[in-house]
Amino acid sequence: MIYLDSAATTMQKPSAVVRAASYAIGHMASPGRGGHRPAMLAGETAFACREVAAELFHVENPEQVVLTFNATHGLNIAIKSLVKPGDTVLISGYEHNAVTRPLNSLGARVKTAVAPPFQPELLYQRFEELLTGEVTCVICNHVSNVFGYILPIERISALCRSRQVPLIVDASQSAGCLPVHMDDLGAAFIAMPGHKGLYGPQGTGLLLCNAPTTTLLEGGTGSVSSLQEMPGFLPDRLEAGTHNIPGVAGLLEGMHYVSQQGMGAILAHEKALTTRAAQKLSALPGVEVFAAPGLGGQAGVLSFRMGGMDCEDVGERLGERDIAVRAGLHCAPLAHRSAGTLETGTVRVSFSVFNTAREVDRLVREVTQILREAPTT
Amino acid sequence: MVYYLIVCRSLTYAQRTASALERAGITAHILRSPKVISGEGCSHSVKVSERNLTDALTVLARVGLTPKRIFIMSSDGSYKEVLL
Repeated sequence: MIYLDSAATTMQKPSAVVRAASYAIGHMASPGRGGHRPAMLAGETAFACREVAAELFHVENPEQVVLTFNATHGLNIAIKSLVKPGDTVLISGYEHNAVTRPLNSLGARVKTAVAPPFQPELLYQRFEELLTGEVTCVICNHVSNVFGYILPIERISALCRSRQVPLIVDASQSAGCLPVHMDDLGAAFIAMPGHKGLYGPQGTGLLLCNAPTTTLLEGGTGSVSSLQEMPGFLPDRLEAGTHNIPGVAGLLEGMHYVSQQGMGAILAHEKALTTRAAQKLSALPGVEVFAAPGLGGQAGVLSFRMGGMDCEDVGERLGERDIAVRAGLHCAPLAHRSAGTLETGTVRVSFSVFNTAREVDRLVREVTQILREAPTT
Repeated sequence: MVYYLIVCRSLTYAQRTASALERAGITAHILRSPKVISGEGCSHSVKVSERNLTDALTVLARVGLTPKRIFIMSSDGSYKEVLL
């Protein structure tokens, strides 16, 4: 199997991640819920995870690192902490449903900064125009999960700071390969999954908090138990119920792995594969590749369309050839609307540190073969 | 043996407290707070020896970690709050 769907989840994990998760299942209990060794060991693991994340993402205090079950969970907490029904929120035209659906559910008024992919200057201008007095919150993706487009998040965060509007950053595709620094961005919240670029197990995520929070879940926390209100302090306030400790143990090892490899080296590897795929696929007749000029503003995600062919059909055929890709709208119809691909969707390939140039070449050969087999219209 | 319990609002806070003390060379042990001193319900405490309390408080003040409450455990097993 050639796995090219790491924007959904990095299925191939470092062996230390698998070992740590497995060990936790057999040896760790629930952190903060007992004084016995398995509970304390779980607590030590959770704390180590917070400390490593705080260092990796430049968070002042590990208590601001909240363990979530995925990025969607973190985004829901962040959005529901800052946005009230009827509020006006400014978002980029590259947001995932993890952002737009909570906003819809809240009944927020949404303004969208739209610009074609890989035009960061134009997108920034749209943010400047639309960030007016009635906007109470800005939400921006760091990297588009559809196109790998790196949005100008540093400039947008500076704009938000200058206009004193809180910013929520969706770092789902950037955590682990691009600098995501809480202190530099000055964001109110940064949400990220643990199971993508941080190489943790599924069911893990992190929410970095720098603003007052509203609870999404209420329940036991192992602290101030005689009170019926949720604790007023982090991380307990946002971590009701038993933690996914096997996941957290794996995530800790995943972050160690990212630190050892170096985010710069990981991004360089993924960009090299993206460039190779973009160059070779775009040379094929009838294939339209969505790539940044020189791939300067693109991470390890690449979308393409094959003229006249249904993207799901292409995904299916590649799957039959043991190549895992993702086709369709990628839970981000807004991004497709911004790029003009809403009607067709795209085929997306996305890379991890475990992919190779040989795998890219095999993908290109199989796409070539599919093109040959396609009925002519 | 007489020792002090620094009561913390949460396990994570206790871990930060113990971590800061250990980095300063002060032995610190995290435990569930005894029921009689836990106040509003479950909490965690950091245990330090009698001779280390002053140094521990200096370290914690330096790193901005404020103890919620501090108790001394006497050799007879009773707890008495120490006023800061």
